[in-house]
Amino acid sequence: MSLFRTTGLRAATTARFIAPTPRIAAAFHTSQKRAILPVGPQVIDGTVNDPAPVPAPNPTHGSYHWSFERLVTIGLVPLTIAPFAAGSLHPITDAVLGATLVLHSHIGFQACIVDYIPKRLYPKLLKAARWALNSATVLVLYGLYEFETNDVGITEGVKKLWKA
Amino acid sequence: MSASVLSRSALLAAASTRSSIPSAVRGLASVATSQAPPPTPESKAPRVKKFQVYRWNPDHPEKKPYMQEYELDLNQTGPMVLDALIRMKNEVDPTLTFRRSCREGICGSCAMNIGGINTLACLCRIDTDTSKATKIYPLPHTYVVKDLVPDLTHFYKQYKSIKPYLQRKDPPPGREILQSIADRKKLDGLYECILCACCSTSCPSYWWNSSEYLGPAVLMQSYRWIADSRDQFKEERKAALDNEMSLYRCHTIMNCARTCPKGLNPGLAIAKIKKELSLGHS
Repeated sequence: MSLFRTTGLRAATTARFIAPTPRIAAAFHTSQKRAILPVGPQVIDGTVNDPAPVPAPNPTHGSYHWSFERLVTIGLVPLTIAPFAAGSLHPITDAVLGATLVLHSHIGFQACIVDYIPKRLYPKLLKAARWALNSATVLVLYGLYEFETNDVGITEGVKKLWKA
Repeated sequence: MSASVLSRSALLAAASTRSSIPSAVRGLASVATSQAPPPTPESKAPRVKKFQVYRWNPDHPEKKPYMQEYELDLNQTGPMVLDALIRMKNEVDPTLTFRRSCREGICGSCAMNIGGINTLACLCRIDTDTSKATKIYPLPHTYVVKDLVPDLTHFYKQYKSIKPYLQRKDPPPGREILQSIADRKKLDGLYECILCACCSTSCPSYWWNSSEYLGPAVLMQSYRWIADSRDQFKEERKAALDNEMSLYRCHTIMNCARTCPKGLNPGLAIAKIKKELSLGHS
């Protein structure tokens, strides 16, 4: 007892040393209802001393993809400003803008799918999501083609909406 | 002369009282505080601080993790959270489990989530606002071994996969491989990493894809060898990262740089790898 007198601990805490009684202070969310995509047990490939597997080089989905993504993003800036700055509207500028916008959003959604649907846990769902995105992109591209050829086009459409 | 005799007798008296206190408590920071209380005046009010610590025991897997509350008087505790944890373990609850070794931020053992930020317990000052409890969790999104001890097996396996050592194509010259001062400077801000995993476990991309994405800590170490003028396997190292998952799951969220207890910037290192991969030169 003389040991604890000098430690500055409260009596209640000291008593817990003899018979520790856990106090639940905050809720911890592990309920099955909240676990939308449960992670499951840890998987270790090989022994603990093996290095993690290194994937084969694939620049198409690596560095080329990244560079292309940046080019599209940077290219969108002048493409968006050009029709308004020039004052005149060329159907080809409008078509390029439309295609680039769709590409840009396709790459963005693709990143979401790869990020949030892990291949190891949901390989079929990943494949389905990728194909759903591909078909959506094709559909939107076709819709834009119709809009450009049979209607006023993106820039004029935005202008009309702005002034409406 | 008489003054020196007096002081010596006072010293002897102090030594004898100290040895009379049982030394049942063994530890690092708490030894000094528990065995020889500092000469604080009795009028000094105790500053009782609450700590809520994540507890989970693998011996009872049917019991869910819970937060256990501890109370310590800050007047009797060292300034850092690790001091408080060691005191809790030594004097209140010996079943509390956590890793610690160097207590000075060089080993990276005591990495944990304190007050919502991944940091080293030994480098994190206790918040002296006693009206609020300090919450201590293990590193987020890790598989917990027990209480505050995370399983870092996969993290270490990923570190091993980047071959974190000097690789040469030339035969060894038989003496040290020299480096210019400018080339050595390129490694500053990279070599200081202690692999505490604070940054990787703070990265949302690493939370979702830790099985394939390497994470900020391992990528920064990869760049440490890409940037090294003595290493001759730069292209092989870059090719190993040039795929969809290993490197490009980094979306420049920058939690890594924000949380690093050593003040390093893994995000910058990753950006440099991306730049080198894109522009193809070093």
